[in-house]
Amino acid sequence: MESNKHFVLGIYDDEDVLLSAVRKVKESGVKIHEVYTPFPVHGLDEELGYKRTRLPIVAFLFGLLGTTLALTMQIWMLGYDWPMIIGGKNFASLPPFIPVTFELTVLLSALGMVGTFMITSNLKPYGKPRLMDKRCTDDKHVMAIDLAKNDLSQEDIRSIIGNSGAQEVNLKDF
Amino acid sequence: MQVTSSVREPLVTGGKTVHDVTEDICRQVEGKPSKSWMLGMAVSLVALLIGAYAVFMLVWEGIGVWGLNKTIGWAWDITNFVWWVGIGHAGTLISAILLLFRQKWRMSINRAAEAMTIFAVICAACFPGLHMGRLWLGFYWALPLPNTFGSLWVNFNSPLLWDVFAISTYFTVSLVFWYIGLIPDFASIRDRATNKISKMVYGTLSFGWDGAAKTWGRYEFVALILAGLATPLVLSVHTIVSFDFATSVIPGWHSTIFPPYFVAGAIFSGFAMVLTLLLIARKLLKLEDYITREHVELMNIIIIVTGGVVAIAYATEFFIGWYTGVEYENYTYMSYGAATGPYAWAFWALIICNIIIPGTLWFKQVRTNFITSFIISIVINIGMWFERFDIIVMCLSRDYLPSSWSMFYPTIYDVGVYVFTLGLFFTLFLLFSKFFPVINMAEVKSIIKSSSSKKN
Amino acid sequence: MTEERFSFTAGAKKTLVILGIVGVVLFVLGTVLSMSGGHGHEAHGEHEETALNAQESASLLASADAQDEGSAHAEEHGEAEAHEAGHGEHHESAYWLKRIYSNLWVNNVYFTGLAIIGLFFVAVQYVAQAGWSVGFLRVSLSLANWIPIAGILMFVSWWLVRYDVFHWTHASLYGPGGDEILQGKAPLWFWPMESGSALPLFYIVRMVLFFALWYMLFVWIKKEIFAEDINGGVDHWRKTRKYSVIFLVIFGFSSSVGAWDWVMSIDPHWFSTLFGWYVFASWWINGLAVIALITVVLKQNGYLSIVNANHLHDIGKFIFGFSIFWTYVWFAQFLLQYYANMPEETVYFLQRLEVGNYTWVFYLNLILNFVLPFLLLMTRDAKRHMSLIKVVCPIIIAGHWFDFYLMITPGVMKLEGGFGFMEIGMLMIFGVAFLFVALTSLAKAPLYPKNHPFLEESLHHHI
Repeated sequence: MESNKHFVLGIYDDEDVLLSAVRKVKESGVKIHEVYTPFPVHGLDEELGYKRTRLPIVAFLFGLLGTTLALTMQIWMLGYDWPMIIGGKNFASLPPFIPVTFELTVLLSALGMVGTFMITSNLKPYGKPRLMDKRCTDDKHVMAIDLAKNDLSQEDIRSIIGNSGAQEVNLKDF
Repeated sequence: MQVTSSVREPLVTGGKTVHDVTEDICRQVEGKPSKSWMLGMAVSLVALLIGAYAVFMLVWEGIGVWGLNKTIGWAWDITNFVWWVGIGHAGTLISAILLLFRQKWRMSINRAAEAMTIFAVICAACFPGLHMGRLWLGFYWALPLPNTFGSLWVNFNSPLLWDVFAISTYFTVSLVFWYIGLIPDFASIRDRATNKISKMVYGTLSFGWDGAAKTWGRYEFVALILAGLATPLVLSVHTIVSFDFATSVIPGWHSTIFPPYFVAGAIFSGFAMVLTLLLIARKLLKLEDYITREHVELMNIIIIVTGGVVAIAYATEFFIGWYTGVEYENYTYMSYGAATGPYAWAFWALIICNIIIPGTLWFKQVRTNFITSFIISIVINIGMWFERFDIIVMCLSRDYLPSSWSMFYPTIYDVGVYVFTLGLFFTLFLLFSKFFPVINMAEVKSIIKSSSSKKN
Repeated sequence: MTEERFSFTAGAKKTLVILGIVGVVLFVLGTVLSMSGGHGHEAHGEHEETALNAQESASLLASADAQDEGSAHAEEHGEAEAHEAGHGEHHESAYWLKRIYSNLWVNNVYFTGLAIIGLFFVAVQYVAQAGWSVGFLRVSLSLANWIPIAGILMFVSWWLVRYDVFHWTHASLYGPGGDEILQGKAPLWFWPMESGSALPLFYIVRMVLFFALWYMLFVWIKKEIFAEDINGGVDHWRKTRKYSVIFLVIFGFSSSVGAWDWVMSIDPHWFSTLFGWYVFASWWINGLAVIALITVVLKQNGYLSIVNANHLHDIGKFIFGFSIFWTYVWFAQFLLQYYANMPEETVYFLQRLEVGNYTWVFYLNLILNFVLPFLLLMTRDAKRHMSLIKVVCPIIIAGHWFDFYLMITPGVMKLEGGFGFMEIGMLMIFGVAFLFVALTSLAKAPLYPKNHPFLEESLHHHI
């Protein structure tokens, strides 16, 4: 079978070794495709140079939408469309509207953010992951290097990874 | 680099490695169900079936089959509702508030606690639904839907409606939070699966997770923000439940301390239920190295703290009831009249189960012992049921008009619907403990290096 | 780890003294102004547009305080009772003096809260086995040095202000024709003495007891913490932890009872079961803001290099979160009384919302303590930057002063409360004295505990 993507994989079993390996490999001028880990490794995304996610902004905007919707709905329904005096209060009195407003703010904020996360991270039912090494959901950290995106030869990359503390160095084709 | 002070107890014992975590947790999912599991399932299903009969009769005949009367319009139904919602608070507390406070010990228990939350909220939601009588019209009464009863909208000034929004939001967000946490663990099971069905089911459930650092980075932010959202949410839910009572002018119900006091009570009972379930689970599922004595002690300490807050609230209620100088306050659930009146047994049940017996947790020997912890956790759940019963029934039974004073006597249908929810809860929980990873593997793996006891 | 010491320099002292002098000048100026100004104008003259509201609420207040009217008659008849006659209670103090008393009490309660929260924060960190906060624990602890002074101030000034601030101290309310509701409550204050006695024994005993207990625990905790510097090991940490638990239990009850005694009883007919926790929430967030502010200022002066952006981020989260918590408690109390609409409860909020002198404070309270901290501290970067902490903390510190002002002043001054140089001046005097005490004690010991078992965790704290 003709494969068109070739990855060199470094397998690590310790998160601190992995972090220093990422630094070493980057210093040797090798571009890292991605690192796959069984659990979140603190500081790894910074080491890889990933920008901080803007999901908090998404959450805030969806929350704002929820607040607006909730207030509009309540004020329109009870204040204008079918006004009624309840408990001697004004038609549209703010304090009793706060609970529902709060709930809808949280609901939209949470769903909007999670939805955005799912879409941007390509997480969906029946999603078929391209697994570099099955052990990356068990106990091994896998560093993947795309040969096509690096000028160095496969041999050089293998030796750089081997010297960075990797337990194994493998090749994976897709 | 993570640094952990040597003063801290290890959170995972037995010198487990990262791989051991996968093995230990997946074993339950991959193996055949044990005998004790089958037995538990059988008992739960029987309870569910018996209860289902009560529910059927209730819907068929109407809520007249309950023991309610003109004075006491809410009794077991709303008691059970508040009790279940309260239990449903611990899961989100553990996963959200303890996440914000970076309490690493929560990692072994949050999965099961969140599952408990979701099932408890499902059970809770049965009661407001059923107590409406004509269940099939419930949507029009509870949701702002255009309808043909005149273009009357739902009443957004009503705390009962706030409840609808609070409970449904809470359920949705808890479910999402729980599921997000499950995705990486489903991927672990998927990658170990040997048969086709498992591969397909867990492959679908894991949403194509590959553990990329980029995704993990986002994932951690999502978890953090969900925690930030869920924390006020969890407070708001029981706050709004307490508004059901506190916005009224019934003596004993109208009390400004209700919102935070209900929240503290909810965490108190929720932790007790978590402890009950996890103490069983650690034995049956052989999780002794993950749910350690240290975990049990820390959970008991949370119970002490929230129990203390509840005790201060009782004292406040008792004191301010007297301080107001209003004579009707002498018939509320927390008053001299309650301690000596016809419901004195319920009053004292509350005091004994919620204050006196949990008070023994102040002794280290008691709170680090599995058996005493287990017994006390059940006692607290009984006590918290009585707290809600006392608040609802006692306050209603004697308010302004002595000619309307009454007592409440439950019928078998009151009991039956309660049994139904108990059966439902344990059925769901047992299903969860068989097919889902009961411990958050990914999170526990992340602390193995810093908080596991070393192999010798 | 090497020791780091804070030196309370002559320059810093000089600045504080100058601030104190400015405070005194403002206070005197404010007093003179209020003596000569004639208070009637402030309530009705300057706020013509709210005069109607003021009248409306005045009539509301009058109807709610119907018993007081009855008691006014009783006061006239009560002259005969010889043992009560000597207290001068029938003559209200002059407007300006009353305003000083009211203001004095606001600052008493406010700074008591700051002092006790200094200890509370330390105790919570120990009980929760928190590692992140080790770097500035001593800043928090230094605030608690005000406890004995707060106790003495409160005890002494209580006798001075009582007839003006605490309506229930008037002997004529008790006995035939008196205020029935207050008669029912009287044992809470006067037991075992006769109701209306010049010596409200139970009340005074509680005040003394609480301060004594707080001070005792403070001394014990402080002793263990400083002994750790010399001896090392974890025994002192364990002992501190034990004392902290004891303190928290005592504080749990005493803070609520203190709030009823010192604040809620100013409006003696009004009640709210949540009030104790409301006062606590206000104290707590205010204490956090002061701890954060002092830490940041120390850092900017070259101290506390072990506290970095990660620690600031955490305390920023605390301030953000507990600002929302305070708002939650505020809202719970407000909504329930607003919703049920019972006159004996709503009078409290009407007094604060409808009387022109206070309406602006009512809304300012929410803006300073909720809206601004919520918006300013929402982002991650905001919590990590010292400049923003230096903006938000003073807002909160001022905001909660207004919170206590709003709890106390309308009950004391009724329609006539004011805010001006006098209030600002006295706050400055108290603030300077408080900082003097705190910083002096901070300079006496190393700035952070070098043998704390969690110091290493705190140094590697990274979020």
